[in-house]
Amino acid sequence: MDILIPILTLGALGLLFGIGLAFASKKFAVKTDPRLEKIVGLLPGSNCGACGGAGCFGFAESILSGKAKIDACRISSDEIKEQIAELLGRKLQKIAKTVAILHCNGGIKVKDRFLYQGMKDCVAANLVLGGQKECVWGCLGFGDCERVCPFGAIKMSGEGLPIVDANKCKACNKCVLLCPKNLFTLVAITHPVYPALSISKETLQEGKGGVYVACSSHDLGKDTIAACPVGCIACRKCEQVCPVDAIHVIDASTSLSINPECNRRVDNLAVIDYNKCTSCGKCIEVCHTKTIRRRE
Amino acid sequence: MSVAQFLTIFISAVFIYNVILSRFLGLCSFVAISRETKPAMAMSLAVMFVTTMSSIITWFIYRFLLIPFGLTYLRTISFILVIATFVQFVEMVIRKISPPLYRFFGIYLPLITVNCAVLGVAVLNVDMFFINGKAIPGSFYYSVFQGICVGLGYALAMLLMSGIRERLDLCDVPKAVKDFPLAFIIASIMSLSFLGFNGFKF
Repeated sequence: MDILIPILTLGALGLLFGIGLAFASKKFAVKTDPRLEKIVGLLPGSNCGACGGAGCFGFAESILSGKAKIDACRISSDEIKEQIAELLGRKLQKIAKTVAILHCNGGIKVKDRFLYQGMKDCVAANLVLGGQKECVWGCLGFGDCERVCPFGAIKMSGEGLPIVDANKCKACNKCVLLCPKNLFTLVAITHPVYPALSISKETLQEGKGGVYVACSSHDLGKDTIAACPVGCIACRKCEQVCPVDAIHVIDASTSLSINPECNRRVDNLAVIDYNKCTSCGKCIEVCHTKTIRRRE
Repeated sequence: MSVAQFLTIFISAVFIYNVILSRFLGLCSFVAISRETKPAMAMSLAVMFVTTMSSIITWFIYRFLLIPFGLTYLRTISFILVIATFVQFVEMVIRKISPPLYRFFGIYLPLITVNCAVLGVAVLNVDMFFINGKAIPGSFYYSVFQGICVGLGYALAMLLMSGIRERLDLCDVPKAVKDFPLAFIIASIMSLSFLGFNGFKF
């Protein structure tokens, strides 16, 4: 009979707690939209933040409330997005695919001003007189962007420059925000003007077809070329040759020196207006410092 | 019941018998969540809350249920039952009342259900503050205070560890010991240094 007391006590305790919890779960139930769980299940779950939401869960909440567009997710495939749109009974609004490009072509072509022996980290190196490179605007080459990229899309090349793999890049903006020299921008590669051009769909998907200015030096041409053989010297040859008036050299004196699109300084640099650019490549031919390049 | 007693409990629980570094309880969360200071502190707060509350509840269970029925040998299983129920309940309440707090605690609160530090406190309390099946005077207050102090000791160890690991992230360490192996080495060195407190006798 002695065994009955512990059995009854523990049994009663368990039953009491069970009933208590069951009651509490009814009383404190939080109503959630069942669609939310489904959307979260469909989203990639990498919490990259490229959509502007606080992780995939936050993004799902803002889709549900209509604050965010479904297509703002850079990672999900089109089919997944269609599924989400169907779930919500909405139509999918397409946003152009963008990738990060680096506005610097210096790398090992630019000499060091002094021997930097600190932490192998761009942000840390930048604190020391703006980094060890002769050009204070250019890439420091310690590969912060490679480390921050959640998709492994950025690799440091032997030239001391990061190379962005356009197929892997999801335009999550992490490298753009991290780079202490502000060298990355996101550029649309499925641009509305492209289909009218002779560039085939395949080359676009390989990430080709984008023309960009690979320099961020705001120095005068003389100082730029002294530090770096491939810097933009603002010679305006590209401006003269462009058939669609898409490329302009911005003077240091004009009020346009901050590009509102990417919040970046652009004075003393050639800047391409991607709403007009047809990627014809005439500016590439004429650029004698080889600053204007086509994305590889 | 005197101030000296409380001071003794405080110093023993936080330093001399630090729950992680001397008693080696709750090690999984200590290694897993000490990578950055902010989540480490969130976890510590959650642990402190649960140790305090479970000290209160298990004292009542022990004093008014297990002792009268002579079932003190069932303390482990009944304490686990109580703590698990309590944590589940708190999770529900927090989720209802304060969603930001719920998101702040996130995964940590359910994790604490199976954290042995919490059960450790409950068992320690009944070991220390019950003599021959009888509560010593002020044992309830001692238990609650010990619950808080063990939580503080946990927070101290987490703070030290996360601070060290955050700085180590920036160091050039051999690949073979990067991350977890290094964390174990550091934990053992910290534990050795906490052994230095062992000379104190109150």
